[in-house]
Amino acid sequence: MALLQWRESKLPSPPEPGPALMPRRGFLEFLSGVCAAIAAVFIGLPAVRAFFSPALPKPKVDSWVRVADDVALLDVGVPIRLDFVQTVEDAWVESRTLNSVWLYTEDGERFKAYNGHCTHLGCSYVFNQERKNFFCPCHGGEFDVKTGEVIAGPPPRALDDLKVEIRDSAVYVDYRDFRLGVPERVEA
Amino acid sequence: MLDAFRWLDERIDVAGLRRALLDRKMPSELSWWHTLGSATLTAFMVQVVTGVVLAMYYAPSPDHAYDSIRYLERGVMSGALLRGMHHWGASAMVVLVLAHMVRVFTMGAYKYPREINWLLGVALLFIVLGFGFTGYLLPWDQKAYWATAVGTNIAGTTPVVGGILVKLLRGGSQLGAATLARFYALHVLLLPISLGAIVLVHIALVVRQGIAPRPHVLETGAPQRTDHPEYAAYYRTTYQRSKSAGVPFWPQIVAKDLVVGAGVVLVIALLAGIYGAGLEAPADPTDASYVPHPEWYFLPFFELLKLVPGSMESVVAVGAPAAIVLALLLLPLFDRGSTRSLGQRPASRFGMFAILGGMAMLIGSSVREEAPTAVAPEVGRPLTSVERAGRALFKRQQCGGCHAVGSEGGAEKGSDAPDLTEVGLRHSGAWLHSFLEQPERFHPDTKMPAYGPPSLSHQEIEEITRYLASLRGKNWATATPEFRDTFPETDQRKERKP
Repeated sequence: MALLQWRESKLPSPPEPGPALMPRRGFLEFLSGVCAAIAAVFIGLPAVRAFFSPALPKPKVDSWVRVADDVALLDVGVPIRLDFVQTVEDAWVESRTLNSVWLYTEDGERFKAYNGHCTHLGCSYVFNQERKNFFCPCHGGEFDVKTGEVIAGPPPRALDDLKVEIRDSAVYVDYRDFRLGVPERVEA
Repeated sequence: MLDAFRWLDERIDVAGLRRALLDRKMPSELSWWHTLGSATLTAFMVQVVTGVVLAMYYAPSPDHAYDSIRYLERGVMSGALLRGMHHWGASAMVVLVLAHMVRVFTMGAYKYPREINWLLGVALLFIVLGFGFTGYLLPWDQKAYWATAVGTNIAGTTPVVGGILVKLLRGGSQLGAATLARFYALHVLLLPISLGAIVLVHIALVVRQGIAPRPHVLETGAPQRTDHPEYAAYYRTTYQRSKSAGVPFWPQIVAKDLVVGAGVVLVIALLAGIYGAGLEAPADPTDASYVPHPEWYFLPFFELLKLVPGSMESVVAVGAPAAIVLALLLLPLFDRGSTRSLGQRPASRFGMFAILGGMAMLIGSSVREEAPTAVAPEVGRPLTSVERAGRALFKRQQCGGCHAVGSEGGAEKGSDAPDLTEVGLRHSGAWLHSFLEQPERFHPDTKMPAYGPPSLSHQEIEEITRYLASLRGKNWATATPEFRDTFPETDQRKERKP
């Protein structure tokens, strides 16, 4: 027992709580905070950056697509739907997607091209022969063929028109997708 | 702020929680070694956070696994750093778990009343190794594929159940799509859930039982054995006394833990930033010449298998891990001496140093052996897989019996076979290939045998050719080849003409 007491007297006496201790306690709390912050930043920052990586702007890729080989073969005054296959880099998969545009011309020189997705929720719309306008079968949206403006139904904005160029009598369209279901035109 | 605290306090007694967790007293004189447990936990948190984001960019299918990793490395911000941290974090976990275990062992902390926590810790060690084994396959590169092929083959040598075991591990008889999906599920679902649950209990027990003090605290005046009827009472009073003379967990102990924790994170990030995780060529199941290397923490086991004769292999492959598991599990149940300092436990001391020393020696010999494969001394750089295959053929065909390469081979002094040390500077690959196939066309009276089909296939000749072309002597880095190729004037095609 005596030995035990001797051992105990060798132990450092517990610090008495009091004003003298406060700086040490304060320092240890500060040190803990700093170390915790260092660990959190070095673990968290790469993780957060990688997580948010897809939300950052991507380098622009050439979005011009050849949709028709000969402009002379296109009908005048009747819109025509042109499908084309696009090779898309989808993260680690290179995939091919089928997209479409509606092309419309009244004089064979000046063209209107609309993204093939309805601006409401992205369904493919069709040309209504009787009423001479675009009609979306999903929710009954209707668009004007000449301007793309909404005539009826829920679509929040006009059809998304795309830039058109004729190069060596082939038709090229600057194909882009836009956010759907919102009134403003923002690229997706 | 104060109101929010009171609102919470009234409902879940935050103040009580704080008293129980943060203000609880710990034995004073805790060493820095006592921070190893929380350091391991920190490394585990690194693995959880980085692992979650890695999983967002990973496709567990042989078609896409490799591409998805490459996309992560090149196309995702901080992707390479993140993967590097996961890679080095894994090694850190193994190091820290082992160090923590050694600490607990040397301080006799597995003894009464902490036997259960030791057993949980042993389970955690093997779960961590399971993480390492399953995670190694996921990048689906050469290293991943072949190391796992060997690893699962080792499991296959288990007597009686080996055949079933290897199919269970691979999800079929071949290493492939099912294996990858299986390893992925184990790596991101089963193992994390098991580890998390056991870690929670492991830590809850530390809080409930209090951390083990330094060994001498519990030795003075103690009964000889922990199963002595008076030991429990002795332990309670002694530990209580040590605790009441101690320091509060917060901030004294927490500060120490966090200093070490931040250090662990910094080291992992630094290693990840400098070395990354590495990605070899995509897995090629047809490239049988690839020599796989397991992750370093499996090296002792891998190396051990090299030392035993083939007939004993299955005994060692299964017996050695089984013996270690059994010894670790039985340790706290049978070792009931109350002495805790390692200095006064000669048998334990011997056992520990024997095992650690043996493991270090096995790793050491494996690293020494690896060096020549990493950088071939006669070439001065690592060989490609084709060149490695060529070198293996060169040895198998006893080419060194006549030809010298560097200081090796060319047995007879009088042998007039050319020294091949710098043959890659003298001859082009095309010339070497033709020569190997039909040497007598070049020198009608040569002693060199013809190696063309059927003795070696065209592909094998090409492999040897590539190896020979890589031989450029001591100044391989600066020397420029000056080919002195002379082809025989009579071409075969000409000869065949009527």
